[in-house]
Amino acid sequence: MQHNSNQLLDKLYRQTSSFMDEAVQRWQMMPAQQFSLQPSPVQWSAKQCLAHLNSYGDYYLPAIEAAIRKARQKKKKVSTVFTTGWLGDYFTKMMQADSNGQPLKKIKAFKKYVHSNNEEGDKVIAVFIDQQEKMMELMEAAREVDLNTTRAGISIAPVIQLQLGDIFMFITAHNHRHLCQAKRAAGIYSDGLK
Amino acid sequence: MTNMEFSPAIDQLKLFIDGICPLPRAQWTEMAAAWQPFTAKRKTVLTKTGETENYLYFVTEGVQRAFYLHENDKEATIVFTYPFSFSGIADSFLTRRPAAYFLETLTASSFLRTSYVQMQDLMNKYHEVQTLFFKATAFAMAGVLERQIELQCFSAEEKFRILFKRSPHILHLIPHKYLASYLAVDASTFSKLLSTVKI
Repeated sequence: MQHNSNQLLDKLYRQTSSFMDEAVQRWQMMPAQQFSLQPSPVQWSAKQCLAHLNSYGDYYLPAIEAAIRKARQKKKKVSTVFTTGWLGDYFTKMMQADSNGQPLKKIKAFKKYVHSNNEEGDKVIAVFIDQQEKMMELMEAAREVDLNTTRAGISIAPVIQLQLGDIFMFITAHNHRHLCQAKRAAGIYSDGLK
Repeated sequence: MTNMEFSPAIDQLKLFIDGICPLPRAQWTEMAAAWQPFTAKRKTVLTKTGETENYLYFVTEGVQRAFYLHENDKEATIVFTYPFSFSGIADSFLTRRPAAYFLETLTASSFLRTSYVQMQDLMNKYHEVQTLFFKATAFAMAGVLERQIELQCFSAEEKFRILFKRSPHILHLIPHKYLASYLAVDASTFSKLLSTVKI
């Protein structure tokens, strides 16, 4: 699928900005008990959802930053069009939620990205907020590089390189998916999400 | 920005200035003409350390933060600004000396903005405008000194209570790490206060 690079970045930036607003208005104000509430013993709390996203951010944010830095040094021509790759497209689709915020496909998370419910909630939220700030900064910086030829390795197998545009798309979809899940866990049904 | 959007902002500026020192009509008209709409995205640096502040801002939307960056990355939040009030690095603007700290937006922000040269012209022409700046500076100084006392003498809990008595809405507006930095308490102390202190 083809996208206008700047419009795609605009859209992803807006979504990330809304994750950030939610974190500031909602997550950081939530009582610890509600934030750690597990709908059932096998389901994650909102805190576990955010911690899960943070552990991906821990890998991807430095990887994206390094990729952008490298691309800038090479001073390659920036294409106004971004074409998704088949693997990137597959990952993004896998992460997608339907219009009610329900995942289209169940996936079992990799073990190292599963968090216990015992972490300190305020730290989880603080890291999440820092990561959204950083992500928006990187999305802005990405306007000066080519989303097709700038690449970074994926977390579960760094030798597999994805286009920067694909990485931004699937991370944003992944964030959206688990933020919807977090809202369900914490008993919040705003924005028409269930 | 269209004129339709511009005029309520100017009305707010007039209300704000009237609260400090009302200007005679002709002078207000010249004052109003000296301001331009200006917008910035989230996390935009408006003024860097070492630059001389050329602008005075009047905030109509969003939150901004002034912060000092110490070597080894330690930073201190000096002040937050939000609607409807002035923003900018006031000391650098008035003294024409390089700024010792940064000014950035924390959320997407809208302002009216004017320049030092324009304000200087009006101050030279009209003593009322000079009085306006004198009074605004006096109020700002009173605020800074009050905060100096709080920072040196008050406990974390007292500082926390004062902040939320003064500006309760900022709890939902600003990432708590910046509020903790503003109060000079660490992040874990801040979240303890948030969960234990009844506001």
